[in-house]
Amino acid sequence: MADHSHRMGAITRKTAVLAFGFVLLAALPGIAHLMDEPFLVSTFSRVLIYAMAAVSLDLILGYGGMVSFGHAAFFGVGAYVVGILAHHAAEGTTVLGLAGTNLAVVSWAAAVLVSAGVAAVIGALSLRTDGVHFIMITLAFAQMLFFLFVSLEPYGGDDGLMMMGRNDLFGIDLSDDMTFYYLCFIALMAFLLLTRRLVDSRFGMVIRGCKQNERRMRALGFPVYRYKLTAFVIAGAGAGLAGALSANHTEFVSPDFLHWTMSGDIMIIVILGGIGTLYGPVVGAVVFLMLEEFLPLAFDSVGLEGLKEHWRFLFGPILILVVLFARRGLFGLLAGREARDG
Amino acid sequence: MADLILDVRHLHKAFGALAATDDLNLGVERGEVHALIGPNGAGKTTLIAQLAGELTPDDGTVTFDGRDITALPVHQRPHLGLARSFQITSVLMDFTSLDNVAMAVQARAGHSFRFWRRARAERALRVPAMDYLDRVGLGARAHVRVSALAHGERRQLELAMALALEPRLLLLDEPMAGMGPEETQRMVQVLKALKGEITMLLVEHDMDAVFALADRLTVLVYGKAIATGTPDAIRANPDVRRAYLGEEGGA
Ligand SMILES: Nc1ncnc2c1ncn2[C@@H]1O[C@H](COP(=O)(O)OP(=O)(O)OP(=O)(O)O)[C@@H](O)[C@H]1O
Ligand SMILES: [Mg+2]
Repeated sequence: MADHSHRMGAITRKTAVLAFGFVLLAALPGIAHLMDEPFLVSTFSRVLIYAMAAVSLDLILGYGGMVSFGHAAFFGVGAYVVGILAHHAAEGTTVLGLAGTNLAVVSWAAAVLVSAGVAAVIGALSLRTDGVHFIMITLAFAQMLFFLFVSLEPYGGDDGLMMMGRNDLFGIDLSDDMTFYYLCFIALMAFLLLTRRLVDSRFGMVIRGCKQNERRMRALGFPVYRYKLTAFVIAGAGAGLAGALSANHTEFVSPDFLHWTMSGDIMIIVILGGIGTLYGPVVGAVVFLMLEEFLPLAFDSVGLEGLKEHWRFLFGPILILVVLFARRGLFGLLAGREARDG
Repeated sequence: MADLILDVRHLHKAFGALAATDDLNLGVERGEVHALIGPNGAGKTTLIAQLAGELTPDDGTVTFDGRDITALPVHQRPHLGLARSFQITSVLMDFTSLDNVAMAVQARAGHSFRFWRRARAERALRVPAMDYLDRVGLGARAHVRVSALAHGERRQLELAMALALEPRLLLLDEPMAGMGPEETQRMVQVLKALKGEITMLLVEHDMDAVFALADRLTVLVYGKAIATGTPDAIRANPDVRRAYLGEEGGA
């Protein structure tokens, strides 16, 4: 089936939805300006960053069938690498014999590499288990890292670490919200292109095969562990880059970046948007973070201030409805049958 | 001495107190179709699982083409030329038939750490995959999702995937299981066409199919091989008649 639709190259409902979404995000700063709501640009930078983390989780969750409940670990490690390097640059000190840096190219590359390395270690151990054990062990590793950073007093412990401004990317002024937004936009689009090609490649077909029937894949001659671990590391690297961007966005990192609720949020975004759809997590990030932003305000304005802190109470039922009635998530509602890649 | 492609010696496998494979000896000659028959629970699937590497024998050796593979991991065996089909259909349900067979072609085509080219656009995978589907008579259903295929069609797909691995020894665990008489007849024809080209170890309950295909038979009862020989010799064997064939209505 897939072969046919691609060969025809017709404009399908899915391509229309994707084109519309692309234009909407590309024009967002302009829209925010017209609406006279400039803060939306920064809010949406956050949306794009979370979307990237969620897409990276969808790669292993939706395509590889690996229910990792510790994805925030890689996000947080990426953020801390950027924060720690900036901290040492400001102090003029070294870390592990290396000078700190504010150079984005160096700092972000380091974030991606370290996150990938952490994912390699966590993945190598966790992927020896599966099912509920895999969920628990990835969660446990992430919590271990969380407590590690809580206890790292030199880097602020519980309180986290402030950065003095954003990183330096070839002299481009990232402190400008619009510039930073487009940086995040380009990064997300590049990551989506990369993961799109990846899931359709030979490698992608193998991890998708593993999700459906690992036993059969083994009987065909695939060393499934190696392929799954590689996918896990790539996902960790993607989340690490998102973390690096997030540290720059908030100019602050803290153990909260690695807290299990963060892993939960990323997973909710994927489920809400549509598991195994790649683009769904972007939709999920938009909706989830908009609800987080505006549900409390809505409660406030109707005099339910008491509920403000508990916006998730309303969000819970929404998520349940989506899971029950839209098996391919919100993206499935929008794009129809071709939403899911299978 | 016969040219054995598969040589199983003194194989043991117990599940608790039950000996599912009990001091089993079995030799498959290169080029033959060797049928493995025996009543339900005789240990046929357990043997196939040990040959495919999914189960580790408690004792004994499995030699494939002169090489001891007793402890070789599952995923390395197809690369030596040892492929299997499953008694309970085991395919990739969300993919199309063509995707499934292309996956088998891909498995044989070196490592899959290739991240950029669209696999579904690779003629090197799709064209051979299509050939195998045609061979088993499933060509017309190439672009149908497996979850929408009928049971018999999935059995055909199972065979196409095993063939796509271009094995030198094919382990077939009841390829006709659950098929209607017409489908069974077609499957027998497909396997007949492969005879001489691929060595097969065929587990099958359908006696007509077995006698139509097999050069030799081994009869398994309670994990033991009680007899091996040509179809005529097996038919005439009194032990076999008592233990097994007798049950089939005393024909
Ligand atoms: N994993 C297992 N654990 C415990 N017992 C098992 C296991 N697998 C098989 N058995 C038992 O081992 C014996 C042999 O089973 P096996 O599936 O190999 O038989 P079979 O000859 O393939 O039968 P059938 O013709 O029904 O397919 C049976 O008694 C079965 O119950
Ligand atoms: Mg069986």
